[in-house]
Order: sequence, then structure tokens, then C-alpha cells
Amino acid sequence: MTALPAVQPRRFRLEPYLHFARTAMAREATYRFDVFTSIASVLVRVYLLRMVWIALYSRNAAPHDLPLHAIITYSTVALLMSLVMDIDQTRLLYEKLHDGSIATDFMKPISVPLYFFSDGTGEVLFHATLIVPSLVFALLIVHIDVPGPLVLAVFFVSFLLGYLVGFCINFIMNCIAFWTLEIHAARLIVTWVSDLFGGEIIPLVIFPAFLQKLAFALPFAAMFSTPLLIYVGVIKPDRYAEALGLHLLWALVLGTIATLAWRAGAKRVVVQGG
Amino acid sequence: MAIIEAVGLRKVFRSIEREPGLRGAVAALFARSYAEKVAVDDVSFALEPGELVGYIGPNGAGKSTTIKMLTGILVPTAGTLRVAGIVPHADRIANAANIGVVFGQRSQLYWDLPLRESFELLRSIYDVPRERYLRNMKHFAEILDLERFLGTPVRQLSLGERMRGDFAAAMLHDPLIVYLDEPTIGLDVVAKEAIREFIATVNRERGTTVILTTHDLADVERLSRRIILIDEGRVIYDGPLERLREEYGTHRTLVVTLADAYPEIAVPGAEVESREANVVRLRFNRRQLTAEALIRRVTERYQIVDVAIIEPDIESIVRRIYLEGYHDGVIGAPS
Repeated sequence: MTALPAVQPRRFRLEPYLHFARTAMAREATYRFDVFTSIASVLVRVYLLRMVWIALYSRNAAPHDLPLHAIITYSTVALLMSLVMDIDQTRLLYEKLHDGSIATDFMKPISVPLYFFSDGTGEVLFHATLIVPSLVFALLIVHIDVPGPLVLAVFFVSFLLGYLVGFCINFIMNCIAFWTLEIHAARLIVTWVSDLFGGEIIPLVIFPAFLQKLAFALPFAAMFSTPLLIYVGVIKPDRYAEALGLHLLWALVLGTIATLAWRAGAKRVVVQGG
Repeated sequence: MAIIEAVGLRKVFRSIEREPGLRGAVAALFARSYAEKVAVDDVSFALEPGELVGYIGPNGAGKSTTIKMLTGILVPTAGTLRVAGIVPHADRIANAANIGVVFGQRSQLYWDLPLRESFELLRSIYDVPRERYLRNMKHFAEILDLERFLGTPVRQLSLGERMRGDFAAAMLHDPLIVYLDEPTIGLDVVAKEAIREFIATVNRERGTTVILTTHDLADVERLSRRIILIDEGRVIYDGPLERLREEYGTHRTLVVTLADAYPEIAVPGAEVESREANVVRLRFNRRQLTAEALIRRVTERYQIVDVAIIEPDIESIVRRIYLEGYHDGVIGAPS
């Protein structure tokens, strides 16, 4: 005979979310081919960009604050960062909206957005471990400058905040699927704009002045440009507070938009069906 | 006390209405008109703990919409719903802890992972104590024969194996209620029987309340005593399967194999349903004519070699109700 349970006050349990993250890491590790190709691709790009910058610098006067060794450091560190920054860690949201399987997640006693966050973080953490071997191999190809401990520490904080900004941008983009089911065009635009204005390939400081203004006013600069400019010393310690403050601001603004997008999307699911 | 109580449940969907063709598609980009569709209309029922009910209806009748409201992922447009004392959509997470769900067409297992790891993940989602988890796993592995493929990634499982995995996944946390949405769809006869046996066992041994929607009425005949028939969003019958059979199964069929090729067959009190060579199917009302009397009438007129009587199956009864509607008009709770 089944007795009705007393409705108990729920307490938040971290365990399932840690489990999601661990599971995502294990899942990523099963795609071994992917692991090797992403390391190899970083190394190829490190080599190619080094050639490009050497060729460009031999024919043009170097910008005064970015000598050749600094720009090679910049692009190599950018490529290492891209191992985690270029992952669309909430793509699962789009996939589940697209095939309708998000319904089964809503039938589980979990916070669904937190599930996506944990899964994405697990995926990213796994890929973060690839930075170490990639760095070791990259050092065989190029020499990179290593700044002092204070600059490194600020760089890591900035990197982390940049990751949060990137997470929110991806999450908002994937939320579009709540309304359209398809986000192919949105993804192309976001990739294109963030490649150009994020500073991953070309440092924003060598853009023409008006483009620089635009680029620094967009959140994409927080993803690559700010941490990298801190790393190579273009952003000096007296501007750290300003740079990190702007980062934080973008993380908060985009975090709020992401929350609102999620709420509106989830409401649409419960009103209109999966 | 009822474990599930639905009163006047209604769900209306709004969808975009579009003129046909490219012009319509372009026009719809700018100005949209909406059409309302009533998926569930004034549905009421109550289930006692431990009941196993077949929730039956043609495609688009509103079965899945009802299930989605019961699980809390759809908000009813009107009406009230209580599942184990909880309003599902108001407290989705608390409700989710009490229920288990199996969709025949959709898996809740984690695609890239070995089956065993899906179970481990569900254990931590539902906070199942380790000891109970191991006991349940052992039990399910036995009756569902899971042992062989516990280490196989879900995407490599056959449909039958995946469904068995899904059933174990849905029952791992000992839910009070399980919703089964076409759980035997696409399965071969052996797998179907294994699943039916599992449902019956869980319902009997654990007292789990079960709502089963299916198009395979053999599932219902085998498993449930009570059925709720739904059509166009409305409940058209709620009661024992037997009563439906008695009320609607008034016509039996007598299959006669004739000794000669008679050009024309006619028997008073029976209607020729079909004829293939010397085999004639005669449909008759068992309330007006006994089988014995009909056979006598046939043998008076023709030479026969063989006879057989076919009882109406639930499938043909339900088909008739879908086509003609339910005429009794009494929508009653089970007596």
C-alpha cells in the first residue's frame, strides 16, 4: 500500500550538479580523436600565425607597444585560451530544444538551467586540461613571454570573467531556440562578430581608431582582448581596476539578460508545450 | 484518498495560422494570425493509489497533453490538478520527485554514456540511498535482464534494450506514480511481453500507481481493469474494461466454411461481413440470437464443413467508439 508522503521542504543539493559536471568530463574524454585534433589544430595555428606576424612585421613598422615578441606571445596565448573559449558549452540547450528532449529534463527534480551550466562547465574543465600539453608543444615552436606573478594573477581573473561573459553570450544565443528552434544564422553572426571584435586573432589596439572605439564598447572584447592585453602589458596596472570593473559589469548585464531569456523561454515551454 | 485528482482540466494551444505557399510564408513573417486549438477540454478523473489505468484515445485526442500537465511541464489553461497532494506546475520539482516517466518515443537515458552511468546519475538526481539503489538495481537487472548491456553506451542499444533501460531508470527512485506514454511502441512481441510483465509486477508488488497511454490495446487488455477513453480532448468513457466489452461487444462473428460454392449466401438474423471463396463471416448480435440458433439456421440452408466463433476484441470495440462516438452517455466513475 502506498502512503502519501508529507510534502517536505526541499533543500538544495549540490551533488547532482557535480555529478553532471563529472559526467560531462567523462563524456568529452571518450572522444579521443577530438582531443588530439584540437591540440594539433592549436599547434598548427600557432605556427601559421607566427609566420604571418613575422612577415607583416618585416614589412611594416611595429606598433610601439606591441613589438614582435609581444604579438607572438599574444596570439599564442589567445590560441591556448581558445581551447576553452571557443566551446559552445550550452549547445546542449539548443540540441534539446531542437529535438524536444528538454521535456524529460523538466520532468526531473533538478534546476534545468543549473544542469546546463554544470554540464557545460564539466566540458570546459576537461578541455582546459588540454592547455597544458598544448603549451608544452607550443613552446617548441615559439618563445612566449611570461609576465610577473601579479600580472599573471590579474590575467587569470580577467580570463575567468571573460569566460563568464562568453558563457552568457552562448547561453543567450542558444535560448533563441526557444522561439525559433533553429539558431544557425544567429550562431554564424555571433561567431563572426566575436572573432572580429573579441581580439582573438587581431589585437583590437591595431584597429583604426573608430573601430577600436566600437570594439571596446562591445562585450566581446572581454573574452580575449582584455585578458590578453593585460598579459602582454598593454593594459598597465593603473588601469586594472577599470578593466576588471568593465568585465564584471558585462558579466552582470549579460547574466541578467540570460536569466530573463531563460525565464521567458521556459514559460513559453510550459504554456505552449515542448 | 485519491492520489491523482483532475477536475475540469482544460488546455488551449495557440498556433500560428498561415496562408499556403511561399506568399503565405512571407506574409507570416510580418503579420501573424493565430488559431486556437483545444487539446484537452474539461477532463476530470480521480485515481486511487495502486490503480493501473489505461488512458486511451486516437492520435491527437489529448493524451500526451494530459500527461504533460500531470508531470508539471504544461500549465493547464483551466481546471485543477493534484498529484500526491501537489499542484504539479506550481511545484514542478517536488512533483518530479514523486513520479517516473517513460516515453516510448523518447529516452531519458544519457546517450553517450554506458547504461550503468545513466543509473548512477539518476541515483544522485533523485537522492536514492545507496543501499536501496543497489537493491532496486539488482531486482530490475533480474526481471529486465539488463546485466548483459549495462556497460554499453545507450546509443548502441537496440530499441528493446533501451526501453528496458528506460523502465529501470523510471523506477529507480521508487516513484509513487509512473506515467507510461506508449511504452511498447515499435517493440517485438517478446520485448512487449517483457515490458508488460514488468509493469504488472511493479504495480502489484510496489503498489505503484500507473497511467498507461497506448495504441496497442493488447497492453490494456493484459494490464488494466479500468480504462479512460478520450476523444477530441474529452473523456468519453471512464470505467471497467469489462463493462465496455459488454455494452459494445454485442456483435460476434460466426466464421463458416461451406462445403459447396454457393452463389449467394443469406441467413436471417445475421449479416454477411465478408466472403472469401467458401469461407463466410457472419456478424450477429448475441442479444438477439444465440450462436447455436444461428448455426442451426445456416445448416438448414447450406452444407458446411467447419464453424468458428470470434468474440469481439477490445480493439474493434474501441475502433467502433472512435468512429461512432460513445452512445451510452453515462460518464461514470468505476463502480
